[in-house]
Amino acid sequence: MNQHEVLLRLKNVSKVYQMGEVEVPALKEVSVDIMSGDFVAVIGASGSGKSTMMNLLGCLDLPTSGRIFLKGKDITRMPESDLATLRGGTIGFIFQQYHLIPSITAFENVALPLEFLEYGDAETTVKVKRLFSLVGLNSKMNNLPTQLSGGEQQRVSIARSLAADPEVILADEPTGALDSVTGRNILELLHKLWKEEGKTVIVVSHDLRLAKYARTIIELKDGRIKDVRRRR
Amino acid sequence: MKFSKAFRQALNMVLHSRLRSWLTILGIVIGVAAVIAIVSMSQELERDVTGQFDSLGADLLTLTAGSSRAAGFSPGRPGGFPGGATSSEEDIVLGASDVQVLKGIPDIITINTQISGSADLYYVAERGSVRITGVDEDTWSRVANIDLANGRTLGPADTNVIVIGGRIADGFFDKRLGINQAVTIEGRLFRIVGIIDDQSTSVYMPLDAAYGVLEDKEKGVYDTIILRVKDEDRIDEIINEVEKRLRLSRHVTEKEMDFTISSNQEAQKQRSEMMGSMTTFLTAIAAVALLVGAVGVMNSMFTSVLEKTKEIGIMKAIGARNGDILKIFLMNAALIGLIGGILGIILGILLSGFLPYLMGETAGMMRMFGSGGTTSAKVILLGIGMSVVLGVLSGLVPAWKASRLKPVDALRYE
Repeated sequence: MNQHEVLLRLKNVSKVYQMGEVEVPALKEVSVDIMSGDFVAVIGASGSGKSTMMNLLGCLDLPTSGRIFLKGKDITRMPESDLATLRGGTIGFIFQQYHLIPSITAFENVALPLEFLEYGDAETTVKVKRLFSLVGLNSKMNNLPTQLSGGEQQRVSIARSLAADPEVILADEPTGALDSVTGRNILELLHKLWKEEGKTVIVVSHDLRLAKYARTIIELKDGRIKDVRRRR
Repeated sequence: MKFSKAFRQALNMVLHSRLRSWLTILGIVIGVAAVIAIVSMSQELERDVTGQFDSLGADLLTLTAGSSRAAGFSPGRPGGFPGGATSSEEDIVLGASDVQVLKGIPDIITINTQISGSADLYYVAERGSVRITGVDEDTWSRVANIDLANGRTLGPADTNVIVIGGRIADGFFDKRLGINQAVTIEGRLFRIVGIIDDQSTSVYMPLDAAYGVLEDKEKGVYDTIILRVKDEDRIDEIINEVEKRLRLSRHVTEKEMDFTISSNQEAQKQRSEMMGSMTTFLTAIAAVALLVGAVGVMNSMFTSVLEKTKEIGIMKAIGARNGDILKIFLMNAALIGLIGGILGIILGILLSGFLPYLMGETAGMMRMFGSGGTTSAKVILLGIGMSVVLGVLSGLVPAWKASRLKPVDALRYE
């Protein structure tokens, strides 16, 4: 996909959570375009709807109303299995708590998305090794997640997000559980991926350092877009 | 996701929740072992009983005193329990007059009168209780189709000689007993002339000798009369004829009939039905054990789904389809079933060999133990198949539930 094409489009998207008998609106009539090749920061205070927006952008959840288009396809009308395949091949996730599977090694964690896409063993090994070298963790491939530090786990998580060679990297508070130095390293790694690998990076965070790296900043407040700033 | 990769994930799940997995597997092991042991033992017992009846022949009738009590068990045969009157029922007995009546029926070609009871057999300084059957030595060989391991059957002019069951010859006393060796029964000396190829503790001797050994038996009174008929196809007709003539001679009506005549065909049918009911009952108990195992698998799987909710969410986020999750969890359940099945079969085989010792040393059970268990390949395959299917069925609902989890909800699960 060429740069400056719309990769993700949210059109009048609202999300309402049902809490018992009470309806809690998390996003209200949000419309935004995310361009291919962009580095997007979604910022806002706690409760502003950042995580909801991330779930919707990542096709992990469906809106209550409105439509979401990924590469021109309306995902709100897709069955879950198609959505899973689309998600696996198009979007790589990085979570605040890393979300690595604890019972398998770092190598196996990174290989997992490829197993779901039914890659052969040889191809998987080559790809995974390249990713470990990209995130600078060659020596720890065979460690279990519990044998890695927070920063290292997040690097494994980043490697996993890149495994299926997705167009979009979606990171939810990737520095939230890390100290400031490690957090900065992770942001730099994401920036490097954006710059060198040509990925579209969307980071949901309240980390103000993010502004330094992002080209587009979407600010949310009370479930609505307060401001969209694009840097040239 | 490829089968091999899903299998590795499933195996990983089993290995990483070892205690729970093993407890679940234990449930399946107990259920499968119970089924295997019961089915194996039932099959062997059925073969044993069928074998006994087959060797008896379909052209034999058993006559006993007393009404409707004799059917079902084989006289003149190891392990048989002659029914009917005993000499304590002095008013209802079979005697010489009955034999005379039977001799007048042309369809009957052989008549063998028998008495039976228990006595102690002495050999050197050892003693053991045995089942004594006194038989008419002239005709016994024509009604009792026994396989001899050694020696001969009883014949005309035999007096103080006996034919013994295989267990008495081997394993009953410290020393083996052989042909022409002498033993003492109730103070009388007997010479062994034949050893039966079985595992019974029966002793057969001429009728006159038996009257001397079994003190409560009155001479001329019989416990059982075995009849061989000319034409086994007409057996029902002959039974009617025997009944008619005996009723006349014994002055009883059909309702007051004080004797019972049964064919081996009928006895075999009754025994088979009894065996069938027993097997069904025991299998039902084993099935309950297996069901409890299945509930265990289901419980474990539900716990596993709960425990792994977040992982399911992660897998879904990184590209797992519903089918992939279903595959992994079903394989997990099948694997638990398979491991449980294999271990259950091993335990079942051991049990089917060991249980007879605990339950008592009847001939059939001892024979089964002697042959090191008789679990057939069919039963083994059935056991493995059953446990895997059971595992998969028990895991179906939890696995389905896991596969339908919404990724966003699963990721949020704490």
